[in-house]
Amino acid sequence: MRWFFRVMITVFVLGAIVAGCSFNSPPQSAGENAAREKSIVIGLQAEPTSLDAHQISDYNSSRAAMEMYDQLVQFKDESTEIEPDLAEKWDVSKDGLEYTFYLRKDVKFHDGTPFNAEAVKFSIDRQIDPKHPYHDSGQFAYAEFTFGMVDHVEVVDEYTVKIVLKEPYAPFLSNLAMHAASIVSPTAVKQYGKDFSRHPVGTGPFKFVSWNPGVEVILEKNPEYFKGAPKIDKLIFKPITEDQTRLTELEAGNLDLIVNVPPDDLERLKADPNLQVIEQSGMHVWWTAFNTQKKPFNDVRVRQAVNYAINKEAIVNEILKGTGELANSPLPPSIWGHNPNVKNYEYNPEKAKQLLAEAGYPNGFEVTYGVPESGSGMQQPTTMAAAIQADLEKVGIRVKIQTFEWGSYLDKVFVPYDQQKDMDMHQMSWIGDNGDPDNFLYILFSSKQWPTAGFNDAYYKNEEVDKLLDEARVTNDKKKRTELYEKAQELILKDAPWIIVDHEKQIVVAQKNVKNFKLHPTGVFRFANVDVD
Amino acid sequence: MGIYVVKRLLALIPVLLGVTILTFSIMHLSPGDPAKIILGSKATEESIRQLRAELGLDLPIYQQYLRWLGNILRGDWGRSIQMKMEVLPLILNRFGATLILTLASAGLATVFGVLSGIIAAQKKYTWIDRLLMLIVLVGFGMPVFWLGILLQITFGLKLNILPISGMYSPGQNGFLDLFKHLILPSISLAVGSGAIIARMTRSSMLEVFGQDYIRTARAKGLREKKVIYKHALKNAFIPIMTVIGMQIGFLLAGAVLVEMVFSWPGIGTLMVNGILARDFPLVQGIILFVATSYVLINLVVDILYAYLDPRISY
Repeated sequence: MRWFFRVMITVFVLGAIVAGCSFNSPPQSAGENAAREKSIVIGLQAEPTSLDAHQISDYNSSRAAMEMYDQLVQFKDESTEIEPDLAEKWDVSKDGLEYTFYLRKDVKFHDGTPFNAEAVKFSIDRQIDPKHPYHDSGQFAYAEFTFGMVDHVEVVDEYTVKIVLKEPYAPFLSNLAMHAASIVSPTAVKQYGKDFSRHPVGTGPFKFVSWNPGVEVILEKNPEYFKGAPKIDKLIFKPITEDQTRLTELEAGNLDLIVNVPPDDLERLKADPNLQVIEQSGMHVWWTAFNTQKKPFNDVRVRQAVNYAINKEAIVNEILKGTGELANSPLPPSIWGHNPNVKNYEYNPEKAKQLLAEAGYPNGFEVTYGVPESGSGMQQPTTMAAAIQADLEKVGIRVKIQTFEWGSYLDKVFVPYDQQKDMDMHQMSWIGDNGDPDNFLYILFSSKQWPTAGFNDAYYKNEEVDKLLDEARVTNDKKKRTELYEKAQELILKDAPWIIVDHEKQIVVAQKNVKNFKLHPTGVFRFANVDVD
Repeated sequence: MGIYVVKRLLALIPVLLGVTILTFSIMHLSPGDPAKIILGSKATEESIRQLRAELGLDLPIYQQYLRWLGNILRGDWGRSIQMKMEVLPLILNRFGATLILTLASAGLATVFGVLSGIIAAQKKYTWIDRLLMLIVLVGFGMPVFWLGILLQITFGLKLNILPISGMYSPGQNGFLDLFKHLILPSISLAVGSGAIIARMTRSSMLEVFGQDYIRTARAKGLREKKVIYKHALKNAFIPIMTVIGMQIGFLLAGAVLVEMVFSWPGIGTLMVNGILARDFPLVQGIILFVATSYVLINLVVDILYAYLDPRISY
C-alpha cells in the first residue's frame, strides 16, 4: 500500500506547485481592481449555443449574447412597442413597401469598425442572400421569419439605408427589433467566418471577453456605448442545468440572478429578506385545441360547454402555483393590441351541462385528449391534462388521455384535419417572436395557417376573423390595427376553438442589492441600466 | 503476453463494429425527422426535402450506415445542430473534465474502499465490521442525485466551506480552485463504487486470512501490520484490482448524473443538453465515444490483469 500513499503525496505536492504558480501570476493591481469592480453573475438553465445574434434560437443564448448587439429599432422597456435604436428615425412609403432608415453617426463596433449603412446591408444580406460571400458563415434559423418578406436592401448614402419589401407587411418594424436583425461588425465576420459565433462583435453596451465551454461566458462593459457606459463592469453567465443547484448557488450568494425557479420554492424565496423575485408575463400562451372540423367539437355549443366545465383558475393556482398568469385572450397582455375587455369562460359546470344537453349530448360523450410528455413552453402537461380530465368527468364527458414523446407528438398534431386520428383535442403552446399581435393571432387563427401550412392547430375557420387578420397585416396605421385585433379577439373567444388557460410568467430571482433589473416580454435580459449596491 | 495483446486487439474490431451498429440504430429508431429538427418548426416542405437529400436521409438504411461509418473513421463525426460546431472537437474538449472527475472518484473510491475493507476484515464480526458494512450498504443504495444535493446544502450552503457547483470560480483556472470544486462531486460519484470495492476487499481479505501462508507468517512472529499489508493484501489484490477496473468504466458512464447536479462541464452535461435539444449528431457521437472508451478501458484492465498475475496464462 505504501506506493499508493507515495503517489498521493506526489500529486498533492505537484498540485501545490501548480496552484502556487497560478496564484503568483496575476499582478498586484488586478487584485485592487477586483475590489472596485462591479460584476453580476447570472445562472442560466443551459449553456448558450451561439453568441452570433443571427444564429440564436434559444433563450440561454439570447440572454447571454444580446447585450453585445443593437438593432435599427428596439422594443421599449417592458413592452413590445418600437422605439429608435441605431436608426434615429425612419420613413415608410405610402404603399408600405419601402422602409428608409436614417442612422446614428457616432457609433463604432467593439472592434473599432465604424457603424454605417454598409454594415446594415451586410448584416441582412449575410442571412438572406445565398450568393453573399459570408452566407455560409452560419445557419440562420430565424432569417426566413424575420426577412422573408424583404426584396432587397439598398445603401442610399453612408448613413441612410432603404429596405424594400416584396409585399406590404405591417409587423415588419417589429421584426427589425428581433435578435436576427442585430447589426454585426462586417470586419469581424470576415475575419472569423464560421467562428464568429465564438468571437461576437456588435455595438451594444457590453463587449465579449471569453467563452469557456460549459463553464462561463464573460462580457465586460463598453465604455464608449452610444447611450452611455453601463454601470456594471462585468457580466458572467454560468450554465447550471439543475434547478435545485442553481437555487442553492443563489442562496449561498455565489450567483446574483437566476432563471427558471422551481414553482414549489417560490413562496419561500419571496419571503427571504436577502432576495427579490421579479416577474413579468412573457409572450406565451398555453391552450387545449379542439379539432373544430370533427364531431363533437364542430358544434360551438360543445366547445363552449367544455370551456365552462374547466376550472382554469384552479389550474393556475394549484398546479402552476402562480408561475402562469390566468389568460382572458390568446394574446398576452404584454403585447399591444391585447383586448382587456374580452372575457374568458368562467367556471360554471351547470351551464356546461345545459349547453351539452342543447347540443344533443345530455349524457356526455367520450373523447381522446393528446398530451405531450414535455416540450418547450408546455409547463406541466400531464398534471394539467389530469385536472382537465377530472373537470370534464363531472359534466359527463369521458376523456381518454394519450401521451406522446414531444417529437412524435408534433408529427401527430400538425397533420391535415382529416388525418388527425389519435386525438379529438390536444395541448399546445406558443411563444411569440416579434411581439406583434399578428405573430399570435394570424399564425394561430387564420384559416390559411391550417396544418401542415401553419400553426392553426384547431383548424379554426371564421371568414370574418380571416378578413380582420388579413387587413391588419397590410395596414400601417397602428390605431386601426389595434381595433381590428380587438374585434378579432372578441369573435375568437365567442367561437371557443381553444380552452385558453394561461400565459407563462418569466420569473427571475435576484439578490436584493441588484437594482433596476427589469424583465422584458421577449425574454432578453437588459443590463445597461442595472447597478449593484 | 505479446500474442495475447494482439489477439485482444483483433477481438476489439467486431465489438467496436457492434457498438457503431447499435449507436446508429438507436438514433435511427427514435422518433422525429432530423431534417425537421435541424430546420425548426418554421421550415418549408421543400427545404426539408432538400436537406434530407443533402444529409442522405433518403438513402436505404444500410447505405446511410456505411456512409456514416466511413465518415466516423475519417474523423468526421458530423456537426452539432445545437452548438454549431464539429462534434469530435466538442466531445474531446469536454472529455477532459469528465476524465478528471472520473479519476478523482476512482482514486477516492479505491482508497476508502480498500482501507475500510481491510479494517472490516481485520475486525470481522465486531461492531466496527458491522458499522462499516452498514455504511457500505447505505452508500451502495444511496441515489447519487440525492447525495449530491445533500452535500451541496451541507458543505456549500450551510457551512459555506466548499463550492457548490462548477469546475472553476468565475474567471479563474488555477489548480487549487479546481481541487476545491472537485471535492463534492467526486465524493458523490465515489460513494457507490467505494462501497463495492469495500465489500470485495473484505471478502477477498477474509479468504486470504484463511490460507496456510498467513498462519505461517503469524506463527513465525511477524507483526500483524506486516502480515496484513505485505502478505495478505498483496495476494488479495488481484480480484480487488478487477473490481476497480470495472468501476472506472461505470464511473465514466455514471458521471452523467453527478455532472448534472454539480454542473460539471463534462460530456455528461453536454449529452443531456444535446438530448433536450434533439441534437442527433452530438448525442450519437457521445454514445459512440463513451462506448468506445468503455471497451478500451476493459481492454487495458484485462491486459494489466494478465500482467499482474503470472498464474494466468492465455
